[in-house]
Amino acid sequence: MSTQVHATIDESTVRQISDELDEPDWLLETRLDALAALDDLPMPSVIQTPGRKWTNLEDLDYESLVDPLNAAETKDQVGPDEVDVLSWSEALAEHEELLEERFGSIVDPQENYLTALSTALFSTGTVVYVPEGVDAEDVKIRTEMNSRSLFNYTLVVAEESSSVTILERQSTGEHVEGERYYSGIVEIDAAENAQVQYGSLQNLSEETYNFTLKRGDAGTYSKINWIEGNIGSRLTKTEVSTELNGDSSESQIVGAFFGHNDQHFDLDVKVWHRGEHTTADLVTRGVIDDVARTVYEGVQDVGRDAWDTSSYQRENTLMLSDESEADASPKLIINNHDTEASHSATVGQVDAEELLYMTSRGIDEQQATDMLVEGFFVPVLEEVAVDELREDLKANVKQRLRD
Amino acid sequence: MSSDQDHLKETNTEDRFAFKNEHKAAVTAEKGLNEETIRLMSEDKDEPDWMLERRLRALEVFQEMPMPTDWPAMPDLSEVDINKIVPYIRPDVELREGTDDWENLPDEIKDTFDKLGIPEAEKEALSGVGAQYESEVVYQNMKEQWEEKGVIFMNMDRAVQEHPEIVKEYFMTSCVPPSDNKFAALHGAVWSGGSFVYVPEDVQVEMPVQAYFRMNSEGMGQFEHTLIVAEPGSEVHYIEGCSAPKYSHFNLHSGGVEVFVKEDAHVQYSTVQNWSRSTYNLNTKRAIVEKNGTMEWISGSMGSKATMLYPSSILKGRGATDNHITIAFAGEGQDIDTGAKVYHNAPNTKSTIESKSIAKDGGRTNYRGLVQIADGAENSSTAVECDALMFDNESTSDTMPYMEIEESKVNVAHEATVGKIGDEDIFYLQSRGLDDDDAKQMIVSGFIEPITEELPIEYAVELNRLIELEMEGSLG
Repeated sequence: MSTQVHATIDESTVRQISDELDEPDWLLETRLDALAALDDLPMPSVIQTPGRKWTNLEDLDYESLVDPLNAAETKDQVGPDEVDVLSWSEALAEHEELLEERFGSIVDPQENYLTALSTALFSTGTVVYVPEGVDAEDVKIRTEMNSRSLFNYTLVVAEESSSVTILERQSTGEHVEGERYYSGIVEIDAAENAQVQYGSLQNLSEETYNFTLKRGDAGTYSKINWIEGNIGSRLTKTEVSTELNGDSSESQIVGAFFGHNDQHFDLDVKVWHRGEHTTADLVTRGVIDDVARTVYEGVQDVGRDAWDTSSYQRENTLMLSDESEADASPKLIINNHDTEASHSATVGQVDAEELLYMTSRGIDEQQATDMLVEGFFVPVLEEVAVDELREDLKANVKQRLRD
Repeated sequence: MSSDQDHLKETNTEDRFAFKNEHKAAVTAEKGLNEETIRLMSEDKDEPDWMLERRLRALEVFQEMPMPTDWPAMPDLSEVDINKIVPYIRPDVELREGTDDWENLPDEIKDTFDKLGIPEAEKEALSGVGAQYESEVVYQNMKEQWEEKGVIFMNMDRAVQEHPEIVKEYFMTSCVPPSDNKFAALHGAVWSGGSFVYVPEDVQVEMPVQAYFRMNSEGMGQFEHTLIVAEPGSEVHYIEGCSAPKYSHFNLHSGGVEVFVKEDAHVQYSTVQNWSRSTYNLNTKRAIVEKNGTMEWISGSMGSKATMLYPSSILKGRGATDNHITIAFAGEGQDIDTGAKVYHNAPNTKSTIESKSIAKDGGRTNYRGLVQIADGAENSSTAVECDALMFDNESTSDTMPYMEIEESKVNVAHEATVGKIGDEDIFYLQSRGLDDDDAKQMIVSGFIEPITEELPIEYAVELNRLIELEMEGSLG
């Protein structure tokens, strides 16, 4: 491992974070174990083709980016009364048993170098607990990052036959300058017949290196839907994934991105079909401009015992500039023949005929292009079931076109 | 019906491929790979110094390069120990240069190819035929009408002697250099036999030329080299077939194919590969396509224990075109990891990739493909379509395409589907009186039809026969 954060990040730092949050021993142990494992863990996997690694996570200077003891944020986390929406320290006080049971049960704290770093150093987070049978529409988590680095952890537990819609936004405060590092891990545990809708809109400053890993475990008849919007950051490495472990479970993952300047988005979308009669639908659409680059990997993995699987994936990229680059690798891994699976990916530019049609109707070329870009997002926006997030995404696209 | 079809009909396909002859050889190299073996080979072939130097340089590259290990879900190559391979066997044939008269061949070699139907195929519709047995080409014939026009079709060893100026220029220099991958380096060190095809400017060879490769000895490696140079405005269709009997010990096939498609030239390269289930097929095939040239790769991969093969085209000139049609069939114990690579390095280039695969009885197929569109390759387009058919729950079918797009004025589309054989289709056919096996066979034949219709009739028939054989009685 070339990166050596722990020159400054040592046991005492971890103990201090844990102590300030008044954490129980088991959590401190988990953090210390993750810290100790750092040396042996690889970076998150990225696509490699002969002679080329598609994203160079090794190149980052984590040591200078990471400053866990000076973490600062403005957080807003609200939800209806019948649901617990708690800060990390409140959650420890109110639901310790639940946390001990579920923390790290879906995303292994030592899955890779960056998850271990997150586990050792996180100091903020949100726990959403939805009791059995409760329907909660409106949970909002807004995080404004006001420090050099911020490590965030989110746990959603949806008990049997409950449902919840969660909207998460990440942004950067106005008065912070220089390069930053944001790291967030999200675990969703959906029990039998539960429905979780988790929408996220990342609009961090373009000097922020962003690492996120969001994964759900879907129980029998349950449904986990993700909406993943990526607008900001200098570099984003993100995975959004669902394990369809319960029979007849479902997942939809809708992604939208818009990269410009020298932004680099490395987006992983994954679904593991493990139970029988499971369904997945993965839809991602994005635009890149200037010298921005996107790397997309989508994996539909159908296990040996996943009978009667339906799995679909679509990815479309619109390139606005010759200097931009769009890389894609949509993968099918099929071990059960009782499967209907397909994927498709396209890359193209603004349609010349459509442009001509519009300019010939008196619309100037720039405006016509902008309209076509907005139109390009319509099919994914239609898939976004949360009105507020859809409007926000639309506004962000418009803003990006004005930039 | 042509005599080929009669022949193929009469001969039991399994017998045609599974027989083996007693091992007879004039020169057999030591197992393993070292400088001494390379020098022995080169001396035995009476090669010029420059070729020996290229071999030794390739050996160095081979020794420096690691085995590929970090590919996602790559076939298991742990059994492939080069120290257990006999890299060179010269069959005990009087005629060192090979022969152009079929009757001159020793009986057991003649029998081998007779059973495979090679001369029959030649009689019909081919411009020329070559046949390689172990490491050397034993038979080669080119029809006069093409020779008169300056078309050269000869075995590669002879081409080194007779056309050194052309071979020196093209042989493992720009198209498949030894540094390309570990097995290309191995190939560069121990290559033997293969075909050399040269088509002069504006000559169109309307009938296909064909080469057949046969590995007979246990534990050997076959490393034939094929070099095709199609000068501007020329056209040629090259077909190769390969087979080897099954042994308990593994065989290694690591061929090298280099195709130069000059301006406005058109080359079609068809392969029906049916290596034995103990053969590792680790091949490197590549074409460089100049302005307005067209390269077509058509391949059927039926045999081998594991195949890793991704024929590639470098579209170097404006308006160059590439078409890939591939079919993979993996049965019990087989891992067929194959696909296509296309590099769009010039404007207005086009490529299409059509891939079909069938997995049954625990076999694995994988489409692994790379499409790269370089910055500046404007108005290029590519369409990739992969369809996989699965028969049972022991089998695996994966699709791993990679697309690197650095140019915005492009049209890139990739589509893949996986599905089981349709119950409804089978029901429909059964209700028309077909039994289950026949119904499935008919569906598979329909599934691969886009491939078979591109092949000359005798190959299409062979491919269908092979598939029938794969399907026979094995379905429940």
